[in-house]
Amino acid sequence: MAIFPLIYSLSISFMSYRLIPPLPPRFIGLDNYIALLGQERFRAVIWTTSIIVVISVFLQYVIGFAVAMALHAKIPGEKLFRVGLLLPMLIAPVAVALIARMMFHPTIGPLNELMTVFGFPNLPFLTNKYWAMGSIITVEVWQWTPFVILLMLAGLQTLPDDVYEAATLENASPWQQFRDITFPMLLPISVAIVFIRAIESFKIMDTVFIMTGGGPGIATETLTLFAYQEGFKKFNLGYTSALSFLFLIFIIVIGVIYLAALKPYVARRI
Amino acid sequence: MSTQLRSASAHVFRYLSIFGLMFWAFFTLFPLYWVLITAFKPPLAVIGGPTYFPWIDFDPSLKAWRDIAAGIRGNFKGTVLHSTLIGITASIIATLFGSMAAYALVRFPFRVKLGSGLIFFTIAFGGYLILHEYAGLSRSNAMFIAFSTALVTSIIVNRLRLPGPVLGNDDIVFWFVSQRMFPPVVVAFALFLMFSEFGRSGFTLIDTFWGMTLCYTAFSLPIVVWLMRDFFRALPIEVEEAALIDNVPSWRIFKDIVVPMSTPGLAATFIITLAFVWNEFLFALFLTNSKWQTLPILVAGQNSQRGDEWWSVAAANLIAIIPMFVVALVLSRLMRSGLTLGAIK
Repeated sequence: MAIFPLIYSLSISFMSYRLIPPLPPRFIGLDNYIALLGQERFRAVIWTTSIIVVISVFLQYVIGFAVAMALHAKIPGEKLFRVGLLLPMLIAPVAVALIARMMFHPTIGPLNELMTVFGFPNLPFLTNKYWAMGSIITVEVWQWTPFVILLMLAGLQTLPDDVYEAATLENASPWQQFRDITFPMLLPISVAIVFIRAIESFKIMDTVFIMTGGGPGIATETLTLFAYQEGFKKFNLGYTSALSFLFLIFIIVIGVIYLAALKPYVARRI
Repeated sequence: MSTQLRSASAHVFRYLSIFGLMFWAFFTLFPLYWVLITAFKPPLAVIGGPTYFPWIDFDPSLKAWRDIAAGIRGNFKGTVLHSTLIGITASIIATLFGSMAAYALVRFPFRVKLGSGLIFFTIAFGGYLILHEYAGLSRSNAMFIAFSTALVTSIIVNRLRLPGPVLGNDDIVFWFVSQRMFPPVVVAFALFLMFSEFGRSGFTLIDTFWGMTLCYTAFSLPIVVWLMRDFFRALPIEVEEAALIDNVPSWRIFKDIVVPMSTPGLAATFIITLAFVWNEFLFALFLTNSKWQTLPILVAGQNSQRGDEWWSVAAANLIAIIPMFVVALVLSRLMRSGLTLGAIK
């Protein structure tokens, strides 16, 4: 079940295989890969996806860490916060995207009314290139920050109290405590969380599909959406498979560089 | 800094964090509140511009819910039933097998030689290609023969002395997890082709209960293995060692000692898997069409089916969200009992 799709798509990535018109598959070696690498649109799509991943994962991590710290500081009503804050990551991306379309709606959405109060009526949240990217990143942050909160909170709970007591006796300021104790001790789990989030974010599809459909033009088209368009609008299967292997190689290369670069700071294996 | 100043700054920090939390909670919860009220708005209160409070700036109506109950917006009753059945069955099977695999990976060292892995891959891949392209076998037969030959050969080869690196348990787990890196679109399509081949040789899998359950079980396994491995690792090994000395067979150790000790972990894993299956969109899009359609497909369809009737879209969303609200409640309870601690140790 798990291996077959891999092997099957690897085999057709070296072929010219289209369902429409239904020509028999023909072996063409690396031509699919070469064609892809030379295509302007492919590079644009990689760039778009990378921007979404880098910005949204960065924001998720910073906000998630901050919220987890705040929750850890024993605040009234903490239990309620926890249930509410977990919810977005458990909602289907499809539903999240539909909610986002309601929120960002140019005439009936509440966000539009808020912006009108500040003097910016009818902003093109989903139809302007830059606004659309911003909206997609916002939705990603909304949905996945809870994941970071959940795991960072678990990490914070494993930290030993006595270190902090010692630090308080030494008159270390809260900022010093954070910089010299909390952050270094949570670095391994942080690296793992960012890694998981980045890998999952690279596959972003449902949200973009429903919110903008990749538009305007191809301004917000992500890799997975591009693969979908090639495969299921044009039924160009060989090409799509080659695309996904390039995608896989791209992710693995980035992942290996990321882990290697951070290895000196992280004592344990992930 | 004097002590007074310090406690003042601690106070400031505390208020800042409460304020920040409030802001974040508002940001998180407002869209959900919006869905909730929109589902009860009459159409006019939606189209006329944003309205915020029931009974103050609009009168709640049940129009969206009556539409759904009357079946105008698609077969909701059946779809919810499908999603529930598939979700629960797939999660039970995945948790069962996944936790066994995870336990084996934690307690018993496995040594897979890289050479035999390569042999498996070569025979499976090459054999499949040769049988399918040149011997003219159908895809499912070619695949079955190539895979079973490859499995047997690689098990035999693994016993021989081979040069090359040996892979340990961590590498096997990495292989499990790495399956999740592959873009799902292509996997979905390859699965679609595989399922339709099976359909031609007699087992209908597309748009059936077992097809969907099989697919979701396979793709939940990596998550289950990854989560359960950490729970099992956190268990004290002494009890199991004592049982081993008394010659208790290892399946009974697993059933009578390990499983009862890790019930919270199993429950959490089950719930997380259930959430994953409940929300999954892409595989369902390819592998179902009408009989076993799942909820996300129906919800996504609301957008285009009859124009932008946002009150109905909101009601459909709410149906998909409410079970997840229950899941969040249960998870946060389990979380308080220190459950997620195991996941990162």
